[in-house]
Amino acid sequence: MMSLPQPLINNRKIATHESKAVTLLLITVALSYLLLFLGIPLFAVFYEALGKGWALYWTALQDPDAWSAIELTLIAAAIAVPANLVFGVATAWAIAKFEFRGKSVLITLIDLPFAVSPVVSGLIYVLLFGAQGWFGPWLQEHDIKLIFAVPGIVLVTVFVTFPFIARELIPLMQAQGKDEEEAAVSLGASGWQTFWRVTVPNIKWGLLYGVILCNARAMGEFGAVSVVSGHIRGMTNTIPLHVEILYNEYNFVAAFSVASLLALLALVTLLAKSIVEIKVKRNGNRLPHGETE
Amino acid sequence: MSITIQNLNKQFGNFTALNNINLEVNSGELLALLGPSGCGKTSLLRIIGGLDVQNSGKILFHGKDVEQRDARERNVGFVFQHYALFRHMTVFENVAFGLRVKPKKERHTETEIKRRVHELLQLVQLDWLADRYPAQLSGGQRQRIALARALAVEPQILLLDEPFGALDTKVRKELRRWLRRLHDELHITSVFVTHDQEEALEVADRIVVMNKGNIEQVGSPDDVYASPASPFVYQFIGNVNLFHSRTHALWTQQQGDAVAYVRPHDIDISLIPQHSSLPVVVKQVRAIGSVVRLEAVIGHDGEVVEIELSRERFNLTPVAVGDEIFIRPRQIKLFEE
Repeated sequence: MMSLPQPLINNRKIATHESKAVTLLLITVALSYLLLFLGIPLFAVFYEALGKGWALYWTALQDPDAWSAIELTLIAAAIAVPANLVFGVATAWAIAKFEFRGKSVLITLIDLPFAVSPVVSGLIYVLLFGAQGWFGPWLQEHDIKLIFAVPGIVLVTVFVTFPFIARELIPLMQAQGKDEEEAAVSLGASGWQTFWRVTVPNIKWGLLYGVILCNARAMGEFGAVSVVSGHIRGMTNTIPLHVEILYNEYNFVAAFSVASLLALLALVTLLAKSIVEIKVKRNGNRLPHGETE
Repeated sequence: MSITIQNLNKQFGNFTALNNINLEVNSGELLALLGPSGCGKTSLLRIIGGLDVQNSGKILFHGKDVEQRDARERNVGFVFQHYALFRHMTVFENVAFGLRVKPKKERHTETEIKRRVHELLQLVQLDWLADRYPAQLSGGQRQRIALARALAVEPQILLLDEPFGALDTKVRKELRRWLRRLHDELHITSVFVTHDQEEALEVADRIVVMNKGNIEQVGSPDDVYASPASPFVYQFIGNVNLFHSRTHALWTQQQGDAVAYVRPHDIDISLIPQHSSLPVVVKQVRAIGSVVRLEAVIGHDGEVVEIELSRERFNLTPVAVGDEIFIRPRQIKLFEE
């Protein structure tokens, strides 16, 4: 059989292609970096937690203080996420669909919790509502306890997590414009009908994405919560705080067992996030006015 | 239903979008708002539809002030340039939307809604697309669905904002003829915005030419084309050559500075000088479809003149680049400078 010379075009390199060696090197660097800084620590958490057997793991999780920490974490997230859901949708709606004075100030303010160190944001609340704070005396008079109590933890959690949903929705809603809402209104829909039948379906994936991220942060927040919590066992400890206490007491199995819950949450979050991303891609057509011909 | 617009003003900050507009839209007519971008035509349309609010002035539907009625109460069908179809709903649900959001006591039964939607889809000849999503349709199909959706609530007035603006030329031509036929069937008072003079001339009963927030001229397509009321209208609608009277005094008796406007197809050419003709040198000859376009330069001042001839006319007097010919306008219009 005669071997024909390859047509020249096949031998030509595509401009952005690198040689095999370079590709391999880049992939190796990226993967080892991931393994070193993300993979090994994640493995370590579960290894330490389960290292002494399932029995000890279960015992650690069944400890009443651990339960109370889990409960508090769930409460804080259960309040912070819906609160920021409402806030996020309202703000994104206002920013994307209306022109008003102070719009850029509002956009900047939304990012404040990202810019400020969580410890500082916790401290702000102590300075405002703590015993020596601005509103401290008034709160004491009325026998309301915010700092070193559950309400304080919820407050800082709301503060720290409030950019997530708004940030996710603003660019999405800006890109979608207000044509569809205007069409709905001109067809006789009320504001409420327009919101539920047109706006919400258009933003639902972005919204879910924001909720997932917001929830992950709400449950995992350490710094801000640490400042306002007071670390009272069984009362004002969230999961991250409880992990720290256990660790400081050299109770490694228990510390890692509880920490594994957070790690699990992270994995579930990643999974959910990937599913949403796939859904969004499949729904395609995220472009304004649906112009994908 | 007629629309009356009285002393309408609209400002965006320092920008005047509409400057004291007065206009009457007759019941059942198809009116075009024509002008370059930024002339205020879309603002006017949106204010009529209640999507924007004027700074002052009145809008009357059939003699009644609609100030107190917002967009959802005006019973106006609105068609958007980018279709604005609900992307998460099927074609059927898009068209049914206006019927489904009616207050409970006015709402039709499900069978009735189904019947009406299919009727409308048949009207726009797209019944077979009922289960598709907007993303699966071509631009022309989307705009027809958008129109069906607007018609579903039986509006008294139809407002179309550059309805064919996002479509390619061929689809655009088809669709505007189709719109004209549809309007002849339905006789619903319609206002459409366009920046395309050809579109306005072909489709509209009357044309309102707008510029910088003002109405320049209102008239039938013939009127607007044949006797433009202002230099702007002359230049905006169709091509035009400008001749300054001082240099071409032979065509006009008017004293003082004026500009003569002559359409390219209103210029006659000959190979020999004739009474009051002007010598020019041909610089370019281009045959475009059924017409031949000449570009010539006036000998003594270098001004460029565009001349349009039918192919037959050109064949009678074939000229080539570099030839000297003599031109004479059949029709001119003078505006003072």
